[in-house]
Amino acid sequence: MMLDDQQLRKLLRLKRYEQPPPGYFERALEEFHRRQRAELLRRSGIQAWFERFASGVWSFRVPTYAYGAAFAAFVLAATIIGSGVWPPFTQTVDTASDLPSVATNPGNRLALSGNLDWSKFYPSLASPRVVPTLRPSQTALPRYVLDGRPVSYKASFSF
Amino acid sequence: MDDQNLPDDETLVRRTQDGDTRAFDLLWQKYSPRIYALIYNMTANHDDANDLLLEIFAKAYRSINGFRGKSSFYTWIHAIAVNMTINFVKKRGRRFQMSLDDLDANVQNDKEFIDLTATNTPIREVDLAELQQRLNEAMMKLSVEHRAVVTMFDIQGMPHAEIAKILGIPEATVRSRLFYAHRQLQNYLEEFRKK
Repeated sequence: MMLDDQQLRKLLRLKRYEQPPPGYFERALEEFHRRQRAELLRRSGIQAWFERFASGVWSFRVPTYAYGAAFAAFVLAATIIGSGVWPPFTQTVDTASDLPSVATNPGNRLALSGNLDWSKFYPSLASPRVVPTLRPSQTALPRYVLDGRPVSYKASFSF
Repeated sequence: MDDQNLPDDETLVRRTQDGDTRAFDLLWQKYSPRIYALIYNMTANHDDANDLLLEIFAKAYRSINGFRGKSSFYTWIHAIAVNMTINFVKKRGRRFQMSLDDLDANVQNDKEFIDLTATNTPIREVDLAELQQRLNEAMMKLSVEHRAVVTMFDIQGMPHAEIAKILGIPEATVRSRLFYAHRQLQNYLEEFRKK
């Protein structure tokens, strides 16, 4: 006689009675703790930091309210700028008196570059706002270039 | 702490993710007997089941920060356990010895056991130890995938839907695997009877 399906299922359910010795799970937990501690000691600090960092990155979730807050901030900024209460890009006008002495000192002009047309930067009523911001140092020595080779590079012991 | 009084899984998982190792111990307390039974019935070897149990919980602990709660913790840890055990059994191959746990003495009082041994069945004349041995040998003749389904459904009493979620297969596949496995087990046990 063959076991029918019901009898087979009953027989299989009896396998639930196959149990490890008493106290097994408590001992296994202690062994688990011991292995965890050993693993922690084995891993270097850098590895542990990297794992924490990686898991932090993967588990990072943008909170839902952050989207609303970002949109509200954008609308607020757009309203303030659009209404003209706070114009963020007002240009400051330099007066002629603010211009550096470089414009009137030919020696300093030469120190920057002989080909630079400084007349473009002279203060005038039409375009008073463009000011070169590069200033030559007062202590810088002028350098002269002849045939593309600095004079100062001339070897002192050339025969 | 009694299993009934343990906080729910979601709370324990969140506490573990926040670094509370005691919360993970409670998850161990809650799930280690079930996970052990699953592995044990798939490997039929206590020592292998012991090693795998520790490895599975170590893997769960390392990965718990990646647990998003899309499935229950129950499903998640069972999926880890089944996958690791299937890989282990495939690597182990056929060269192994069964090392079975003792049958709890309470089996003698189980209604199903009394029914099975009282009626005119092929197992009537077989003693308990031999019955256990025969059944486990028959189980070991199944493929590990079929054994997993039989363990979860017949021994652990999980519904088809839960097994399908754990294995990541359709419910229909679970049912067909069960049907095929039952037929095979019936044939193997019949062979024993004839011997």
